[in-house]
Amino acid sequence: MKAPSDSHAAGADPFARPHVHPAVAFYRAARARLYVRMVGSFREPTWIIGDSLFPAFGMAAFVLLYRALGAPAAYETLAVLGGILSAYWLNVLWGMGTQLYWEKQQGQLQLYFVAPVSRMAILTGMAVGGVLTTTIRTVVGLIVGFGILGARVPAFDPWMLAFVFVLSMVALYALGMTLSSLFLLFGREAWHLANALAEPVYFMSGLYFPLRTLGGFGLVAACVVPLGFGVDALRQVLLGEAARGLLPLDTEIVILAVLSVGFLILARFSLAQLERISKNEGRLTQRWQ
Amino acid sequence: MSARVGKLRSAAWLGWQIESNWADPFLFVVYTVARPVATALILAGMYWAVSGQAARAQMFAGFFVANAFHNYVTQVMIGMGWVIVEEREDYETLKYVYTSPIGMINYLAGRGLVKLSLGTVSLLVTLLVGWFCVGVRWEWGAVAWIPFTLTFAIGLVACLSAGFLVAGVGLLLPRIAVTLNEGVAIALYLACGVIFPIDLLPRGIQELTLVIPFTLWYEALRRFLLGHGSSARLADVSDLAMLGWLALSTAVFSVVALVGYRALETRARKLGRLDQTTMF
Repeated sequence: MKAPSDSHAAGADPFARPHVHPAVAFYRAARARLYVRMVGSFREPTWIIGDSLFPAFGMAAFVLLYRALGAPAAYETLAVLGGILSAYWLNVLWGMGTQLYWEKQQGQLQLYFVAPVSRMAILTGMAVGGVLTTTIRTVVGLIVGFGILGARVPAFDPWMLAFVFVLSMVALYALGMTLSSLFLLFGREAWHLANALAEPVYFMSGLYFPLRTLGGFGLVAACVVPLGFGVDALRQVLLGEAARGLLPLDTEIVILAVLSVGFLILARFSLAQLERISKNEGRLTQRWQ
Repeated sequence: MSARVGKLRSAAWLGWQIESNWADPFLFVVYTVARPVATALILAGMYWAVSGQAARAQMFAGFFVANAFHNYVTQVMIGMGWVIVEEREDYETLKYVYTSPIGMINYLAGRGLVKLSLGTVSLLVTLLVGWFCVGVRWEWGAVAWIPFTLTFAIGLVACLSAGFLVAGVGLLLPRIAVTLNEGVAIALYLACGVIFPIDLLPRGIQELTLVIPFTLWYEALRRFLLGHGSSARLADVSDLAMLGWLALSTAVFSVVALVGYRALETRARKLGRLDQTTMF
């Protein structure tokens, strides 16, 4: 008589999963979510138009306001850069902040929470996908700003630009990760809260004017939402003195790095806490409360 | 006539209940006030940044005032588009509204009237920000009140008409309704020269924008409230001609909007899209 195989030996768990290193699992989950974000974002052509064209329209209006007032040309470039970065903030709000709320509405959130992967991996995939898709869509803003409206920048260091951009995106999307867990607590107000956070943040971040204009208030606001330091630092790399930066570039880079780390830690902590609260109060599968 | 007024009143009452019930009062006020005030402050920030260096800083008041009145376009036109999205996607009640005796036209008009009141709040708050924070002021005695009031009223009709058109497209094309709502307002913000004179737009587009009643509305509001417009191209147009032109374009636009809405609604019904949710 044949002996039973090892896999069916007494005491073995027939449902045991193969061991995967946590870092590998994190990478795979992030990549999977990134794939969904990338493919999903190109499924609806009207959303591509909306996400790329409308921020460019708003930017064009602000550039033309400077032109109508007879302001120095550097201000037009400054507004173009702000307009391009506004697309990233919109993506943080609607693609990160409200994402888990959408998932809840569509009945998929519980699947995220039973999946044997880190929730941070899922959010990381969403964030990286969000940056990539938004970057593709900002091409329209670049064409409108530099091609049609004729904004110009002097020679600049592309490596420094890339470094400051990546740092800004890490800080910004880490904030988005934090917002996504916070928004889990909200019902239909999540939609309205995201709406209410668009223009006020544009103002507090000095998206269309130098943040220095707001003085001390601008400094405080930039420490809350990293978009302010991000756009200010990028302008300094591209425009130098004409950017009328809030703080020296080196200082802003250090602050952005600190904000990045701080928001990543906060995101991890808040996600765990709010997941626990939502489970305890039974809100994970509750729609339209 | 009295039946129609009764239907409008019912729709407006229902709209108010919905508008004031979806969030707690604090968030409601923040939402109604926060966006307009923030947009006004962005303009203020731009003005503060360049006021010492700009060659034509005195033109800013006209742009700020037009931006304040653009709140009606945002609230009413986008708001009526959102009525379709909310009823169909969120509450899944559009089919019941559609089959109820009140009728869609009356229902949308009633909901639009509530949005008008919200737009008035946004307008007043924005003008207060301008008056006290940026110094956008006018001589009360110098305001051309009768033309201004006529212009204001005609513009509100245009806003409601545009709302019908946006709602109609939303009925027919559920997947783009959300994008459309936000997009049309931004497109009008750019095309109608809210915060800059249309003279800065390329030739060809300028002529196109003059067909849209909102372009004339903003220019007329500036002229009758502040005493001057912003467009050199429209500077030679007399006040009377401006008013007549605005009234005519609004009348044509309103007819097109209502006929267009009917056609879009009929098409949406034939294609079975009235209650088609997109899970968005």
